[in-house]
Amino acid sequence: MGSVLRRLLFLFQRNRLDRDLEEELRFHEEMKAHALADADGMSGDEARAAARRRIGNPLRLREQSHEPWTFPTVETFMRDMRHALRLMRRDPAFTFTALATLALGIGLNTAIFSVAYGVLWRPLPYSNPDQLVMISSAQQTEKGPRTFSTWAPVSYEGLRPRVAALEDLAAYNSIDVPLTGRGEPVQLHALEVSPNFFVTLGVEPVRGRPFLTGAAAPDDDRSAIVSDRLWRMSLKADPAIVGQSITIDGLPRTVVGVLPPDFSFRPVLPRLGALPETDLFLLNRWPGDTGRNAFLFLLGRMKPGVTQERAEAELTALVNDSSIVHAGGLATEGALAPNVRTLARVVGLQEYGTESVRTLLLILLGAVSFVLLIASVNVANLQMARLSARRGELSVRMALGAGRRRIVHQLLTEAIVLSLLGASLGVMLARIAIEITLPLVPQFALPRLGGIVIDARVMAFCLGLSVVSTLLIGLVPALRVSGAAFGEDLALHVGEAHTTADRRGERLRTLLVAAQFALTLVLLIGAGLLIHSFVRLTSVSRGPDGVVQTVRVTLPERLYDEPERIHEFARGMLDHIQYLPGVKSASLINSAPFGMMFIRDDFYIEGQPKPKIDAGRPKIGPGYFNTMGIPLLAGREFTARDTAEAPKVAIVSERIAREYFPGGPGEALGRRVRLSDRGEWLTVVGVVADIRQKGLDQEVQPMLYVPFQQERVEFFVLRFVSFVVRTDTPASVVEGIRAEIRRVAPNLPIESTVTMDEAVAASVAPPRFRMFLLVLFAITATLIATCGIYGLMAYSVTQRRREIGVRMALGAERRDVLQLVLTRALRIVLAGLIVGLAGAAGVTRVLQTFLFGVTPTDPIAFTMVTLLLMAVGLMAAWLPARRATRIDPCAALRAE
Amino acid sequence: MVSLCKERLMKEAKTKSKNELLPGTLEMLILKTLSIESMHGYGIAQHIQMLSADVLTIEEGSLYPALQRMLVKGWVLAEWKISANNRRARFYRLTTAGKKQLGVEESRFSQMFGAIMRVMKTT
Repeated sequence: MGSVLRRLLFLFQRNRLDRDLEEELRFHEEMKAHALADADGMSGDEARAAARRRIGNPLRLREQSHEPWTFPTVETFMRDMRHALRLMRRDPAFTFTALATLALGIGLNTAIFSVAYGVLWRPLPYSNPDQLVMISSAQQTEKGPRTFSTWAPVSYEGLRPRVAALEDLAAYNSIDVPLTGRGEPVQLHALEVSPNFFVTLGVEPVRGRPFLTGAAAPDDDRSAIVSDRLWRMSLKADPAIVGQSITIDGLPRTVVGVLPPDFSFRPVLPRLGALPETDLFLLNRWPGDTGRNAFLFLLGRMKPGVTQERAEAELTALVNDSSIVHAGGLATEGALAPNVRTLARVVGLQEYGTESVRTLLLILLGAVSFVLLIASVNVANLQMARLSARRGELSVRMALGAGRRRIVHQLLTEAIVLSLLGASLGVMLARIAIEITLPLVPQFALPRLGGIVIDARVMAFCLGLSVVSTLLIGLVPALRVSGAAFGEDLALHVGEAHTTADRRGERLRTLLVAAQFALTLVLLIGAGLLIHSFVRLTSVSRGPDGVVQTVRVTLPERLYDEPERIHEFARGMLDHIQYLPGVKSASLINSAPFGMMFIRDDFYIEGQPKPKIDAGRPKIGPGYFNTMGIPLLAGREFTARDTAEAPKVAIVSERIAREYFPGGPGEALGRRVRLSDRGEWLTVVGVVADIRQKGLDQEVQPMLYVPFQQERVEFFVLRFVSFVVRTDTPASVVEGIRAEIRRVAPNLPIESTVTMDEAVAASVAPPRFRMFLLVLFAITATLIATCGIYGLMAYSVTQRRREIGVRMALGAERRDVLQLVLTRALRIVLAGLIVGLAGAAGVTRVLQTFLFGVTPTDPIAFTMVTLLLMAVGLMAAWLPARRATRIDPCAALRAE
Repeated sequence: MVSLCKERLMKEAKTKSKNELLPGTLEMLILKTLSIESMHGYGIAQHIQMLSADVLTIEEGSLYPALQRMLVKGWVLAEWKISANNRRARFYRLTTAGKKQLGVEESRFSQMFGAIMRVMKTT
């Protein structure tokens, strides 16, 4: 240990040591001269000369005396590194290309990895998060397997004390509630949770306490815990908030705790995505709720050492025990088939509901690793070309006694320097890329956005990447050097631009460039498929043009507990809105298109067997289709005369009409339908065009529209009211509606005000984002591959100067020379493209779930992209080819 | 031709670099010398040469690098003093670590020496 320290000190005392040593040697020399003079009777000068001869080369002696003080491997590395940096400075074109290529490759990988890691693998901010699981159930039904995400409170109470595999079982239900009495009313994303929710997560509030568990705490029932964000924003960071009362949904709740700033809980809805951050947690025991409505998500913590399979087996046994879980207590009544075995599903909290994101991120990771591969190949290629140019240098070094190890060492050092510089630039690039793109990420697409940061782990990944690229860049050329005959080969050809000696290297380079084109083509085809799919997506008819403004509110259940109250509110509002200045027409719906809410269920047609399809069943106001611009195909719209007292009516969408009334839309008119097997019959009065209610990237949904004012049975879904207004002045209309709501229901928060165009844009945001990313990767890859073929051809033209000169001297025309170079380039590109096409045909299947109206082997995307890449490749080869035609045969031959 | 040349050169270099003493013995001899009294480089060489009746000549090219190695390892310390003939000279002095090392080297050497002798005595 001490010796390392002394050696480190030496670095700062080098001069002193040198001086000491010099004086010491002078002393030695004099003593020796003295002795020689005494013994052999030499004169002073003679003796000194003799002494100097005996001592030998003082420089060498000094070097040898230095050696013990140094770190040989470090010194060699530093020397190699300085050499590498010098070489890089001397060849700025190479350095720029290599660094830019590597920075792009590594940067993209780092960015995508940081997202994938943050979303899929970063441990959740709870204690021992890998023990946390979500519990759902599944049944095999005639329509295929059906999964039920939620449970009834009775089932939860039945399971909780009995599951031995779980340490804790908590339940939650996500609701949106208004907070009033603290400034402008706001709609909050809240969770109703069982008392043990935070115990299960293993999270403690930083202020106050968690909810009390156990039956001995009935006075805790009206308590609430708030997020750090809510505490700071709406509660003004009041340090004495614990114990205070806040008004939630019109009722007082006592704040008992404030959560840590880094706490985050975004409830995930399977197939839909993650809901926004939860700001408010309300304790709920669902007392006396023996109803059969299932709406609780179950979150469990497995005991240490328990596997998901074991928990699943135990839960499945419990679920099928009718003394614990009553049939129908699992899912909404009617949805669950009786007498069918139910399976419990146990999924890790982290994986829960992230299947589609997982696929997407893994695809993206695969795509960017292609980019890095292409980039590394490019740099390896450049390096090889340079190596040929450096034959002279390397031969001299080998002739002077540098071993192969030493040369390989040098080449690897050069690769390390390049990779590390590239990696640092890459990290910077990734930082910028993340900062720019994260705000563009569609809201529901990625859960846990907060987990996306460039931290030690991501840096480690980046370092790993640079090791991989180092190996690719360094080893390929290094292996060539250590090829058996290379040393002698080099020694013989110092300074000669030989045409045959380099053949092996050239073949390898050609192969690498062809491989680049193959990989690039796969990426480009993927991007092409997404582009084509997106074009198909946005060109589907989306109904109305012009501005349709929506304003959404949720009526609190407590105040609007009867259909009449909701009907009255809606009627009153519409009467007012219609006469606001700038309003062309106005209506309302309980589930606006492209919104989160969409309810579909069975329906029945009089005189026909039960339809095999489900239908959406929105409740709409008069003039809805006119306002939205949805074409009416037959019959009439609902009007103000379709009141609760009038005959019950319905309007079906084209899809239903086509399937069940094959005689044309008119045939449906006058027929009767109903929404449940015991419900009232409704007369069909109209048929409207299909719309993509759930979003442009979704299937057309069969729809069965019912007048808002006539709905009494499913009145609980009427509470979600969206007013829709066609207008040219949306801003003033929104203000008008806001003022009216404030007058009629002062504590009712407005949840959102978006135009239909905005809603449409939001609904295509995920596919647009996917397309954007893949196109970005593909363009990067194309750029890199273009550099690759350009470099190869430019180098080969330089190498074959003499040959081309001879050809021209023998009468070859410029055209022939051009053809010579371009044919070769075309052969390489074509070889790459053929392999790439085969690869793409195999690989694009993973994109299936993200394609809309386009097959994974879409001929348009395949042909267009292939032709494009071929053109780009030839264009890149054109420049060196043209240079080849300008070779002056005299000059080329004389240069030998 | 070229390769032949190179091989011969390398072989030569290898034999030359071999110390004529048994490996490690130079350090031991220096340590032993310094255990008597502190001395400068020239003195050390003279001392060993004299005691070994000119059998062991210590080359400067080995002596000074060896002394530097021992400085690095902390076995000896160097200080400037005035020599017997009134000149400034660099004297080397044994440290505690150096003394311990001398013991280690001595016992290793005698072990090695004994082993060699046993081999040589067998007829």
